[in-house]
Formats: sequence, C-alpha cells, structure tokens
Amino acid sequence: MIPLPNECYYQIFNNFQHDYKRLFSCALVNRQWCRIIIPILWNEPEKHFKDIRFISTLLLMLNTEERAILIPFNIIFPSHPKPLFEYTNYITSINNDLDDGIENWLCYKTCARQREFENAIKYSLTAMLLRTSKNLKNLCINKIICTQIISENLYENTTITSIFLYDINGNFITNVINVLAKILYKSTTLTSLRLKSSLLKNREFKTLLEALDKNTVLRSLDLLNNQIDFEERKEEKH
Amino acid sequence: MDNGTSNSASENETITLKSCDGIEFHIDARIANRYTLLNNWNGGESACIPNVNGKVLEKVLEWCEHHINDPQLNCGDDDSRRRNTIIEEWDENFLSCDQDMLFEIILAANYLEIKPLLDLGCKTVANMMKSKSPEEIRSAFNIDNDYTPEEEEQFRKENEWAEDY
Repeated sequence: MIPLPNECYYQIFNNFQHDYKRLFSCALVNRQWCRIIIPILWNEPEKHFKDIRFISTLLLMLNTEERAILIPFNIIFPSHPKPLFEYTNYITSINNDLDDGIENWLCYKTCARQREFENAIKYSLTAMLLRTSKNLKNLCINKIICTQIISENLYENTTITSIFLYDINGNFITNVINVLAKILYKSTTLTSLRLKSSLLKNREFKTLLEALDKNTVLRSLDLLNNQIDFEERKEEKH
Repeated sequence: MDNGTSNSASENETITLKSCDGIEFHIDARIANRYTLLNNWNGGESACIPNVNGKVLEKVLEWCEHHINDPQLNCGDDDSRRRNTIIEEWDENFLSCDQDMLFEIILAANYLEIKPLLDLGCKTVANMMKSKSPEEIRSAFNIDNDYTPEEEEQFRKENEWAEDY
C-alpha cells in the first residue's frame, strides 16, 4: 500500500465519526492507525458515558490524589499497566450520562447503590476530566460534585464554551456563584450558560447579575426554574 | 500571481501544466483558477508539478474537468460534505481504479489542495473498510500488524466500550 500522510488517514477515519464500532475495528489494524483514531474515537463518547466499561477505563486515568478520594470505599484498581493513551485528553463533551454510567458501574460492582460512594466517584472522575481534557467544550455539573477543587479546576480551564449547572443549592451555591462570576469576568470562550433548578440567595443572584452585565462573550443564557430567596420572600424566576 | 475567481477566465482560454515526468497537459484555464495550487504551476516554460506523475495528473485533471461547473463550497460546508457518505455515480466509476491509483489520487489531491477530490478519495477508502474485520482490512490494504499481543489485548480492554455499537 502506498503510504499516506497522517492528515489523509485522519480524514479517512473522520468519515466514521460516531461510528464507534467501525473506529474500534480500524484501530486494531496497526499502531499507526490506532494513534490517529484514538482522538476521533474519544472526541464525543456521548451515550457511552453510561457504559460500565467506559467508566472502568476512566477510573484508570485517575491520579494519586483523585484515587485517594476513593480509598475509604475500598475500591480495588486493576493492576493494569499504565493506559496506552491519555484518552481523556480528547474528550470535548461531558454530559449527565456520566451519572448514569457511575450508577451502573456501582450496581455492577457492589450490587447496591451507595450514595456516598457514588458521589465520591463522580467527584474524582469530574476532577480528573477537568484536569486532563485539554479540548473540553461542554460540561454538565450538579451540586454533588461542585466542590472547591472542581470549581478551581473549572476556573483554570480555558477551552469550555458551554456550562450546564443544575440542582445546586445549600452550602455549595455561594462558592459556585462566586466562581461562575469570576469565570464570566475572565472567560473569552464561554458562550453558553445554563443554570437550572438551583436555589440562589439575593446576594448571590446580585453577584451573578453584575458579572453577566460585564460579560460580552456569552451568547446564550438560560436561567430556567431557579428559585431566588429574597430574604423572607421567595420568587421564582422564569 | 493572479488567483482570481473562475469568472476571470473565458471558456476557450487554456493553460499548460507539466507533470514531474515531463508530460504536458493543456487545460481549461478555469480549472487552474479554481484550484490555487494548479494555478501556481501555470505558465513557466520548464515549470512542472513535482511529486505528481503524468498518469496521476491526467486522472486528477479529468476529475477537475468533469466538475468544472460544480458550485464552489466554502470552508463552513466541510462538515456537511464529510458526513454525507453518498458518492455520485460518475465519481464512483472514476475512482473504481486500482488501489495504488486511488491512493496516488488522494496524495495528489492533498498535495495540490483539491479538497473536494481529496474528500471523495478519503470517502472511497472509508467505504472500502466498511464491514471488514481488522484482519480483512490488513489483507485488503496489505498492512502488517505491528501490535504485540499484550498491546492488542490492552487496547481491546481499554476501548471495549466501543466494540459493540
């Protein structure tokens, strides 16, 4: 066969975008093809976030710090060699199928749903994904994992174009809104923001509005179904 | 150098291109106007296109000639074009040449930046891989498997989520 430059192979395999089975087959042909295909295969895993086999590979990507979060739950990491690729580098979109995937993985491993364990996995995986995904564009996040480290990682990120935060309230919200405001002041890439089903205090709402007022990059804003607590009075904003 | 639009050349105007093995082609100037890199090789007495031989250049120019009146797509259409895997009958016949020639055409289209032809060639190769196992692809394209058994096993394990659908 006449050798082609990698960019031609890339274009050939790009015809199989989202045809995961076909990409998998082609990647098994030889190592060169595999190196070209991995970024396409991992670009948008979509519904595969629900797959326990996908979650198992994600867990291999955790660093020591992120693994430490899971120590209390006696999770046994496979005595695998280091993963062949930095797979998560190539992920551009994280949706809430990740939650289902973790739930499925947990049911499979322990035959029981343990809320705390589930949250710990969600937290460590999200921290890892924010740390490693160099091309992340879309992120979906809820209150369980909205911790200090996650928001710091989120603030450091310079590629995200779309954030979807939902179900955020209680102690997390002040921190989240402050980080969000900082991002809105700083980010030149974030063009879409959705904040859904969250409970904001008057002060936090003001912080958010001020940041939105200064922001010139955002093109789409959705604040559907949040509650704003004006001291005694509660109003629903649509 | 004039890289003007296709309107700037009239139908009867021709230019001369020379392949790397010295074969001359007199082509409709509108083709060269359409593909900048072809235009770059136009005119010079001894100028010839490096890396592309007469046999391949003939095929490339045949394709360009057939598609001379196609609407020109801008970059934004790239994705929609790529996702459409249907190939017109004429193009399909045109590319049902032997495999070496198909790859030579892809190389030349890439080199000469004739994007729609490159796209078409890549799509054709992709179609040849459809419904083939890795082993069948290797034998169809004469490729050696350079995985170690351990590596292959590890790749399968880490990516088995993609295996079924």
